[in-house]
Amino acid sequence: MTSVATQLERCRMFIENECLTHTPKTIKTEISYTLNNEGSYKAFIDSIDLFLKQYDDDQQTNKMKFEDCKDQPSGYIERGQYDSSAGEKKACTFNRTWLANCSGLEDKTYGYSLGKPCFIVKLNRILGYKPEPPKNNESIPLEAQDKVQPNVIPIHCAAKRDEDISKIGQINYYGMGGIGGFPLQYYPYYGKLLQRQYLQPLVAVQFTNLTLDTDLRIECKAYGENINYSDKDRFQGRFDVKIQLKSR
Amino acid sequence: MISGFSLLLWAGAVLCWIAYGVQVSQAPDVPRDNLYLGVVLAGVVILTGCFAYFQEAKSTNIMASFRNMVPQQALVWRDGEKKQILASELVVGDLVEIKGGDRIPADVRVISAQGCKVDNSSLTGESEPQSRSPELTHENPLETKNIGFYSTTCLEGTATGLVISTGDQTIIGRIACLASGVGDEKTPIAVEIEHFVHIVGGFACSVGVIFFVISLGMGYKIMDAIVFLIGIIVANVPEGLIATVTVSLSLTAKRMAKKNCLVKNLEAVETLGSTSIICSDKTGTLTQNRMTVAHLWFDNEIVSADTSEDQKNQSFDQSSVTWKHLSRIVALCNRAEFLAKQEDVPIMKRAVMGDASETALLKFSEVVYGNVMAYREKNKKVCEIPFNSTNKFQLSIHETDDPHDKRFLLVMKGAPERILDRCSTVMLNGKEVPLDDSFKETFQTAYMELGGMGERVLGFCHLLLPEDEFPDSYPFDVESMNFPTSNLCFAGLLSMIDPPRSTVPDAVSKCRSAGIKVIMVTGDHPITAQAIAKSVGIISEGSETVDEIARRLNIPISQVNKKDARAAVVNGMQLKDMTDSDLDEILRNHGEIVFARTSPQQKLVIVEGCQRMGAIVAVTGDGVNDSPALKKANIGIAMGIAGSDAAKNAADMILMDDNFASIVTGVEEGRLIFDNLKKAISYTLTKNIAELCPFLIYIIVSCPLPIGTITILFIDLGTDIIPSVSLAYEKGETDIMNRKPRHPKRDRLVNWQLALYSYSQIGMIQSVGAFFCYFTVLAQQGFLPARLINIRVSWEDKNDQDLEDSYGQEWTYEQRRYQESECYTAFFVSIVISQLADLIIRKTRMNSIFQQGMLRNKVLLFGLASQLIIAAFLSYCPGMYDALRFCPLR
Repeated sequence: MTSVATQLERCRMFIENECLTHTPKTIKTEISYTLNNEGSYKAFIDSIDLFLKQYDDDQQTNKMKFEDCKDQPSGYIERGQYDSSAGEKKACTFNRTWLANCSGLEDKTYGYSLGKPCFIVKLNRILGYKPEPPKNNESIPLEAQDKVQPNVIPIHCAAKRDEDISKIGQINYYGMGGIGGFPLQYYPYYGKLLQRQYLQPLVAVQFTNLTLDTDLRIECKAYGENINYSDKDRFQGRFDVKIQLKSR
Repeated sequence: MISGFSLLLWAGAVLCWIAYGVQVSQAPDVPRDNLYLGVVLAGVVILTGCFAYFQEAKSTNIMASFRNMVPQQALVWRDGEKKQILASELVVGDLVEIKGGDRIPADVRVISAQGCKVDNSSLTGESEPQSRSPELTHENPLETKNIGFYSTTCLEGTATGLVISTGDQTIIGRIACLASGVGDEKTPIAVEIEHFVHIVGGFACSVGVIFFVISLGMGYKIMDAIVFLIGIIVANVPEGLIATVTVSLSLTAKRMAKKNCLVKNLEAVETLGSTSIICSDKTGTLTQNRMTVAHLWFDNEIVSADTSEDQKNQSFDQSSVTWKHLSRIVALCNRAEFLAKQEDVPIMKRAVMGDASETALLKFSEVVYGNVMAYREKNKKVCEIPFNSTNKFQLSIHETDDPHDKRFLLVMKGAPERILDRCSTVMLNGKEVPLDDSFKETFQTAYMELGGMGERVLGFCHLLLPEDEFPDSYPFDVESMNFPTSNLCFAGLLSMIDPPRSTVPDAVSKCRSAGIKVIMVTGDHPITAQAIAKSVGIISEGSETVDEIARRLNIPISQVNKKDARAAVVNGMQLKDMTDSDLDEILRNHGEIVFARTSPQQKLVIVEGCQRMGAIVAVTGDGVNDSPALKKANIGIAMGIAGSDAAKNAADMILMDDNFASIVTGVEEGRLIFDNLKKAISYTLTKNIAELCPFLIYIIVSCPLPIGTITILFIDLGTDIIPSVSLAYEKGETDIMNRKPRHPKRDRLVNWQLALYSYSQIGMIQSVGAFFCYFTVLAQQGFLPARLINIRVSWEDKNDQDLEDSYGQEWTYEQRRYQESECYTAFFVSIVISQLADLIIRKTRMNSIFQQGMLRNKVLLFGLASQLIIAAFLSYCPGMYDALRFCPLR
């Protein structure tokens, strides 16, 4: 099988489009819980716990596998050929504390118990994919323009419907260097066979002041030169989610 | 629309809807595949049903056109005056008048008649006109002369009759009822298709149940397992096949119609191919149905005449003086006349007024003489005695066209022995010599020889009346016969026969090499029947009957070993006294059988006897009385020209030209369609496995579904339809008419051998190929085969947006769905490509592909091309992904 696998390596096709996904997962893009009912959001917390477990410090101690890529965004790190000739590749560490309020280190409920739910957002892994930051600000909404930096793929969340704009309240973004975006030094990805320990960069999105008992449709979008959006695949380069926070 | 095959499809459709119902009850937003599949299945049944209906309606229309559209009228006495009313309004007790040319409107008792003759051939099989008179001549109503039967024709004369029964009570009506009472046997092809449905159904159900149990064992929910079960059963339904069968049958029916076989019942097309015994009529079917001069005897020599259908001139030696005299008698002593205005019609096709023998003689002399009518004009008739059964001769006296010879010429023809009795001299090589005993002997030998050939022999003589006794003004008087009728000069003999059609011997030998037994059933005299049977090869050269062996060995018939005699001539009278087992013995022991002097009712007995031996019997018939036998036969063949409506109604097929050779063409077509259906079915069945396996693997391995229901439908009803129909255009293989008829129990349309070959050999190759494509597509994108095991639940989870592949890449649901479509398409293309090869494999069964010729079947080539074009269109036409989940392969 391995020989077939290496054979295939050469003619492999890559996923064409980058997708933006999140934890906790939603059922039909809907998520709702009751503020004071721990049972109603326990599943969300568990799934974030599970997901972030691999980002724990003790998982990233092996210096043979990880390297510290600093805590400020920088350019792509090329690690050679996509075959096993040069052995396994190192991967960048990702510090869970960068997620601050959403790291689950202090608030074990990731803000859910306080009515300030966190979403952990990531770009789906694609072999050899190098996201390109936007060249200019034109296509990016005003509020997000400050996030545009040379080595970052910025993300921005906003209300999907105009009437919801006032009801969403402040949204906080946590990530490397406190920026709401994905730094480029984590790319490209060399695949499970060469980079088993790879951690993709995360951004935490926290909704701090959601209006209670209302359906709120929020869309998060990643911006980049080679990031496209599609009506068919609702996760391509963006996702939208319907949040309802019930008071009782 | 509710026969075996359609039933299978209906069951499939209903199962689909049940499965869909089950799915909806579990989760309302399931894909509608099962719903659509059900609709398509039902649609296929209805469409093909309509197609078959139109096809049969077309032949029904032709049938209807046979019927006389003008309602039958009857001339009836009512309220003291003659009235023209509809025949259907007649009641018992009506007094009807009948004249020559009328069809008798009901069963009538004749109360007065003037020279009335009727044609009862459609009822009793007697071809001679029967006279009708008021006397009761027989206790049996069918034999007596004072009853005229409904639907028979009055040929000449007039009669008045009392209606004694109408409608269904008439003899004809009762026979028609009898015919409809004879059970409709299932056609062999229907039996075959039923058998096929059993095989496919059995296979589907057993695989379904096995996997139902397996899936339960694997921990699937029971509802899921039921959906799987239904899915497996439905996947086995060959949706396209019913269309293929219908189209093939109607194509063949069309082709046969071109060859003068009108097929009323589509399935009968194939029946003819499995026929092992043909019971054929003689008159009109094997023969040309017209008397023709076959032999002449003059100057102590027998010469044979040309009896083919389109004779232009006779090639025998016509230089003898005797011949000149003989031909003059033939031309003059004849009452038959050509109807007017037929100068440009070939002689043999001209309509004639006169009886069969006189017509034959007239045409014969027209051929040798040229214009007979003008010749008769020059040799004016002065007196004539027509033929009657007491005299057994016909005589006429003419002036001659020789202006120097004032003598009258007396010419006479009739039964040879009677004619010879009246002669004292004989013309030999142009000279009159006294008739002596030695001549009488040679005459006897010649007479016997001609009679032994089953021919009707006539003798001819003449006399030039002396001028002194019979001057110009001599008053010839027929009543007193004031002229000599003896001491005439014998000229010669002519013998006539209804000659076999020229194509028949060839057709019979074709039948023989095709293993089909041809039995002649005729109302004619045994000698005539035997002679014709010999000349067309039904009794082959060197075959002897029991009688002939006895005569040759000079032993009593009882001592002859019946098994030595290959041929048998059975008389209707003998048949009447036979038990079923006697008849069976005859049918078994003799390869070449002629039934002579049989009544149409006995045909039914013969057919039943043949069927008892397990044969598939084709029967030809034309009379009303034949209709029970036609119904009873596996395939009834009615005569298009001579056949009565009742016979045509009872038959499955109609021979438009009444020609036996057309039956043989039909046999060939029937065998061809059986072969081609076999090819088409094995072609269609093959991909079933390739369509079923994915589903099984999907259940067992729990991998993404390799091919979707809709995609399968596009194979079954899209790419595969034209190729499987194109197999119906395949030419016959070389041995088609050289092998035995198929054994109805052993040589099935679909046997396990064929099913296994299709399913487990070619089908497996196809599946493996398709799976290779499936795994390649997935592996190329990151899902190596090992990753696919047990991936199904998360693969199909709409909320899982980051499913990892073997390389750690993450896939959203929509991306996976697209990928799945790529698998569908790859699997589809793979099946299509292997079906291309399969089609070429199926082109032949026995022949090599080079013998059969790759390019001869243009439709098949078109089928190959169509497959590629449809597949390319489905895969590459924009928008196909959204509509049908086909996507371009990279």
